[in-house]
Amino acid sequence: MNVLEQVARAPAAATEFLNILLTTEDAEVGTTPKDVVWTHRKTTLYRYRSTQRSQPIPVLLVFALINRPDIFDLSQGRSFVEYLLDEGYDVFLVDWGVPDEEDADTGLEHFVCEALPWAMREVLRSSGEEELTLLGWCIGGTLCAMHAAIEPDSPARNLVLLTTPIDTDGGLYTKWLRRDTFDPDLVADTYGAIPGGTIDFANKMMKPVTNFWSTYRKLWHGIAQGQDPDKARKAYQPMAKWVADNPPFPARAYREWITWMYKENRLVDGRLRLNGKRVDLGDIEQSLLVVTAGADHIAPPPGTRPLLDLVGSKDVTHFDRSGGHIGLMAGSKARDEIWPDIAEWLEPRSDR
Amino acid sequence: MADQPSQEERVQQALEDAEQRTAGAMEKVVQSNAFGELLARSTENVMGLTRIGFDTFDLVVRNLRIAGRKDVARLGTQLARTEDKLERVLQEVESLRDELNRERSRNGSAGSRTKSSSNGRSSNGRKRSTSRSRSKSS
Repeated sequence: MNVLEQVARAPAAATEFLNILLTTEDAEVGTTPKDVVWTHRKTTLYRYRSTQRSQPIPVLLVFALINRPDIFDLSQGRSFVEYLLDEGYDVFLVDWGVPDEEDADTGLEHFVCEALPWAMREVLRSSGEEELTLLGWCIGGTLCAMHAAIEPDSPARNLVLLTTPIDTDGGLYTKWLRRDTFDPDLVADTYGAIPGGTIDFANKMMKPVTNFWSTYRKLWHGIAQGQDPDKARKAYQPMAKWVADNPPFPARAYREWITWMYKENRLVDGRLRLNGKRVDLGDIEQSLLVVTAGADHIAPPPGTRPLLDLVGSKDVTHFDRSGGHIGLMAGSKARDEIWPDIAEWLEPRSDR
Repeated sequence: MADQPSQEERVQQALEDAEQRTAGAMEKVVQSNAFGELLARSTENVMGLTRIGFDTFDLVVRNLRIAGRKDVARLGTQLARTEDKLERVLQEVESLRDELNRERSRNGSAGSRTKSSSNGRSSNGRKRSTSRSRSKSS
């Protein structure tokens, strides 16, 4: 396309570009049919509908406390849930909901020692099985690891941890947060629930040009070059909607997460206690799959790898792939490059 | 010659190179101690201002004798704590029911006896609940 053609096309492209940005909120995410199995406070446990369950051991998906778990089921063809269902798994998802000021007293203990085990209990009751696979992503992975470490009788047979922060030394977050002038108590005392937008802003500031400029520039470039608008819309909107959907972080959980994980790095040293019990990663005995992403700036691989040496599991597998924190599992290549490997790992470990 | 990039492509490439260099430079900036310090101080300032704003608004609303955000949140917290307790009770009831069902199926032929005795207990319970509701209504 020459310059004149580009100039002539600019008004139409600009209209299309703006339309895609302004209608992002209307994009449909998390559309795979599911039923509510259990609710407690803001937490909801879903079971995805399937007519082809062939793997006996159900899979419970656990996402972080920031952003929504819809990323597991982004859109048709880009849904890990859909993929697992096609592979014959009985898939459950625990959604932490949208906390507010009344949840200010909800700490990590609540998630690790109450909400997660209670959701697991409901999974077992619904599926009629005695064991399950816990699959956690980001903070969700850390919560799963804490649960497995603290609960010797956990019904979790397999543990799959995706881009999970364990040892925070040396990361950019640590550089920002582990300084005397940053006071998480001040933030937690001001807000009962830390606005998700502030956490999202901090995440985006880690790669400011990529997040605040390149994403939009690439969208514009594609449209200006004559890319099919529908294709551009489908590629951009679901992910953009998910990125912008930031639920608040309960104040106590925020205070504990920042202080224990980033300021004091307690988990990796075995100095973290929940409900009076020491969280010793050496007590994790489940079959363990750890997935790291080479270009992950939120949970960089050096911050996850120590787990491989710390756990007591005899069956440990590590996939270190290229990709980013979210792109690895929800990017356009995930369906071909990582999901089949996860399913292949799970399959022999999901028999009765 | 046909493989030579056009002028537009060269401009495009130059812009993308500039973007990449800027991205790299900005990432170095945000990794610096100075930026960390700036972020921490800015957060502190924003929190200070926010707190003043919240406290002022809450004071105004309370002086108007209207329930403020803090009051609603406190009520929500109480409800959530009650829900926690109910969940624990429900789990206890469910596990007892499961245990009873297991016991029944284990006893097999003795099941009918167990059944009748358990029915008796539950009927007693129903009576108690009825009398309680009667006393309430009276």
